[in-house]
Amino acid sequence: MLGEEILYLPLSELARRIESKKLSPVELTESYLERSRKFGPALNAYALLTPEIALEQAHKAEKEIRGGHYRGSLHGMPFAAKDLLAVKGLPTTWGAQPYASQVFDCDSAVITNLKRAGAVMLGKSAMIELAGGSSYRFASASLTGAAKNPWNTSCWTCGSSSGSGAIMAAGLAAFTLGSETWGSILCPAAFCGVSGLRPTYGRVSRFGAMALAYSMDKIGPLCRTAEDCARVFAVIAGHDLRDRATLPLDKAAFTYSPATERRPPSRIGLLSNAWKSLPPEIAALLANARKILRRSFPFIGSAALPTGPFEDAATLIMNAECASAFADLLRSGAAAQLADPLEQLSVYVSETIPASDYVSALRIREQLQYKMEELFDSFDILVTVSQPVTASKLDLNLETGLSFPDPLGAIGNLCGLPAISVPCGFAPDGLPVGLQFVGRAGNDLGVIQAARAYQKYTNWHKKHPQLR
Amino acid sequence: MPDDLEPAGPVKGRSISRRQFALRAAMASAATSLAPGSLLNAAASPAPIPQQPAGSPALSPESQAEVEARVQSILGRYGSRFSDEQKSEIRRLSAALQAPLESVRAYPLNNAASPALYLKPLVEREKRPAPPQPAAKHKS
Repeated sequence: MLGEEILYLPLSELARRIESKKLSPVELTESYLERSRKFGPALNAYALLTPEIALEQAHKAEKEIRGGHYRGSLHGMPFAAKDLLAVKGLPTTWGAQPYASQVFDCDSAVITNLKRAGAVMLGKSAMIELAGGSSYRFASASLTGAAKNPWNTSCWTCGSSSGSGAIMAAGLAAFTLGSETWGSILCPAAFCGVSGLRPTYGRVSRFGAMALAYSMDKIGPLCRTAEDCARVFAVIAGHDLRDRATLPLDKAAFTYSPATERRPPSRIGLLSNAWKSLPPEIAALLANARKILRRSFPFIGSAALPTGPFEDAATLIMNAECASAFADLLRSGAAAQLADPLEQLSVYVSETIPASDYVSALRIREQLQYKMEELFDSFDILVTVSQPVTASKLDLNLETGLSFPDPLGAIGNLCGLPAISVPCGFAPDGLPVGLQFVGRAGNDLGVIQAARAYQKYTNWHKKHPQLR
Repeated sequence: MPDDLEPAGPVKGRSISRRQFALRAAMASAATSLAPGSLLNAAASPAPIPQQPAGSPALSPESQAEVEARVQSILGRYGSRFSDEQKSEIRRLSAALQAPLESVRAYPLNNAASPALYLKPLVEREKRPAPPQPAAKHKS
């Protein structure tokens, strides 16, 4: 079996070795499967392991590559998909008891794209039930229990792509897929010390994915590096007639190779008002990141997010859409089967949001979109830490203990802005801290390039926890 | 009787304040979930508005009425499903929803401000002149 020094390599390096036939996709898959069996259950990382499918796909990839038919950097690459993505014939539970036996007869669009690229599915990663629904109180809000952080198993990975974060940090796969409505890719990436990309809204088809909030849901990768995120994003991005929210062909598609990075972003705006306050240890890491960014970017200025009721608008939109998406749970009473006491009830309250207030929130959203367009006329990329805290304890009451203003999360998700979180150091508690790059809608390449430039000068993404 | 608690219904020749409107809208919303008998009783003698749970945000009488209407709407449809503790929790969550609702309502929007149904700036960007190229700006 392959050792940690291989299994924690970036996807880009694994791909180079697979393409040159120095690394066997079958051996890589077997090694990740063995490691997943060994560490996955204790971390509550997987909803389902699919070794038969994985090995079949790995053997097929290996045969093709040996035959000279190399499809690209995901060919023979083992991954796990968040359990809200339909895979034909397999349980797709959405992390929730009411859907525990749900099986779809088709693949989600991203799974189809990954199959076409020759990627190897190890299994479905665990998640917070219904991707968090209207709200949840505990990390245990999941059919599979609380996902434990490989850096400290008394801590959480953050949600709702909780298993995807755990799998990456524990070196159980080469990449994972997550989804974000508000924070569910960037927060697990930050808490788990990995790189996570939230693409522009509409660049990745949600066909076959559970809907939480139709106008806010995005699917994106969690990987070791920003470059890895770009490689996965290039495979899953694209217009899809089956998801009418996807952007037109020319704006949805994404192609990537390091050679495409011709003109990197140059104007960085360090956000002055993204967080109410930062603990000194996290502020120090941000100050250090600023010094490193100066090596790559000629202009770093102070930027301020527009102020207004944007968190409130995001809350109303997300919750109203959630209530509609899960109306069946309300009507049937099956919401009572959810694991989290807050999630059982919050959707009932969300159903009472008046339609006129929902529309007003959508109107505020458009005002905000133009305000952000103006801000991006002055800055290419906005930067701040991904979270003002490190990973929370597993038993923390999230409603009271992990509740702080998050205007950037609200604005980024309301406006569908691309963002990436990459590791930028460790707090004194030994837990990783993430650095967040946010770009103009459509400028996914810009945030990737900025993060990649940062990672050229840092090694935080090469650190990994020691598991026993 | 305070002006805000006058019986709901249009009064010819009088304008109504935003506060009154909010209260009336809330009462009307609640009425949809009430059984006819209780609706008659409510019209004859408005039910007292229960105290908010400890720790709930301080609310104006109008907001409290709206919260109560929300609670009654939920309990009217689904009440038999909930324990007393859950009903209390629904009341707390209903009160917590009031702040974002009022914040959104207070934001000035003119009639022409339309809802964002797609990434309009992204789609429309091509129609605008491109912003100055940053790389050129900082060249020495």
